[in-house]
Amino acid sequence: MSTIAVNAITDANGGSTTSINGTTPNAYNTVGKNLIINGAMQIAQRGTSASISNGNSTYNTVDRFTNYVVDSTSTVVATVSQSTDAPDGFSNSYKWQTTTSGTLPSSGYCGVQQFIEAQTVQHLAYGTSSAKKVTLSFWVKSSVTGTYAVSVYQDDANRITGSTYTINTANTWEKKTVTFDGDTSGTINNDNGEGFRCIFHTGAGSDLTSTDNTSWGAYSGGKWAYGHAQNGVIATTNATWQITGVQLEVGESATEFEHRPYGTELQLCQRYYEAFPVINGGQSVALILLYRASAQYWLNLIYKVEKRAAPTFNLGSGIVWTTATPLIDLGKSSAIFLATSTGFLNEQSATGSYSFALDSEL
Amino acid sequence: MYKKTNTINLETNEITESTKSIIRLSDNATIPFDEANRDYQEYLEWLAEGNTPEAADG
Repeated sequence: MSTIAVNAITDANGGSTTSINGTTPNAYNTVGKNLIINGAMQIAQRGTSASISNGNSTYNTVDRFTNYVVDSTSTVVATVSQSTDAPDGFSNSYKWQTTTSGTLPSSGYCGVQQFIEAQTVQHLAYGTSSAKKVTLSFWVKSSVTGTYAVSVYQDDANRITGSTYTINTANTWEKKTVTFDGDTSGTINNDNGEGFRCIFHTGAGSDLTSTDNTSWGAYSGGKWAYGHAQNGVIATTNATWQITGVQLEVGESATEFEHRPYGTELQLCQRYYEAFPVINGGQSVALILLYRASAQYWLNLIYKVEKRAAPTFNLGSGIVWTTATPLIDLGKSSAIFLATSTGFLNEQSATGSYSFALDSEL
Repeated sequence: MYKKTNTINLETNEITESTKSIIRLSDNATIPFDEANRDYQEYLEWLAEGNTPEAADG
């Protein structure tokens, strides 16, 4: 076995910018560089396909990515799914397929976005003169060529900036890279709320594209999707738009996508959402009731991963409490249930993939 | 629409109205009173519109 023992590795000119396979290692582009969770779209705890229409932003399929259709005409309907169609090196993508097309009103907008927790992005140093640039890279494929907008938004200071990318060839995976300046004016609070948001627009009415957002500034509706020039995905039945390999990293250039182990990615997702699968045969779910006193049963459910905030307790499709809803105290890392019946959850009629879920999404 | 829920003092068995969570009737979800929880934020907005949750089961 050979050993290399040196005090420093420098480039041929004596500088300190030596690259390895084209990348100069630094504190921000090594392990943990990707600020996006589930960027390879591998995790889909809620299910692999769902229909969305006019309404609030909702989490439906791949974890951490929330979908939205805001359409006052209530025309547009899309199917969002976890697809196995992906570029080389990836196994999944997020797929938008318009199932009922329509013409968005001037106030309408559609797309998919990811909210990033504020305390995760403190190293961006926003609100200071040291604010860092970030680079967003992704693979995208659509049946409709043209210019699409992508925006980044920070909620604490209500500020936004954006850019565009072009899909050059229909139905072909293309890699895109966009770099955003650091925001020296708007501070991101060091807490568990929303800190940073990446927004991929699939459609936008004229009210949402009217104001230049190519540098950071106070949010206004016209900046939401500035530059978005292609609503063909929304206006065409069965049109598709897919994305995967989403990476947001500090710096001015895109490095190779950080492929984290599946288990690591799942745990990162479970900080925000944790689903407990239905057990085969409709047996009792993984809740172990402890006897306390006559006709009273209580248990302590310890989550796999501590949650961002105390989560909402959701029942899965078809799942019902066998008697009255138990008393539930929900904490960030565990919950206490108190029931008056040993028949706790009835999953015999489950129609979904999970018995219950803990939702702490942003 | 929301419904209040009860809690129990594990020492005394006294049942009182919970100050920790609320039931969302549309899906029977239990929502904790944590201001960082987005469902609780929606509940607060609903209250601010002048709405009132149903009473807890007796």
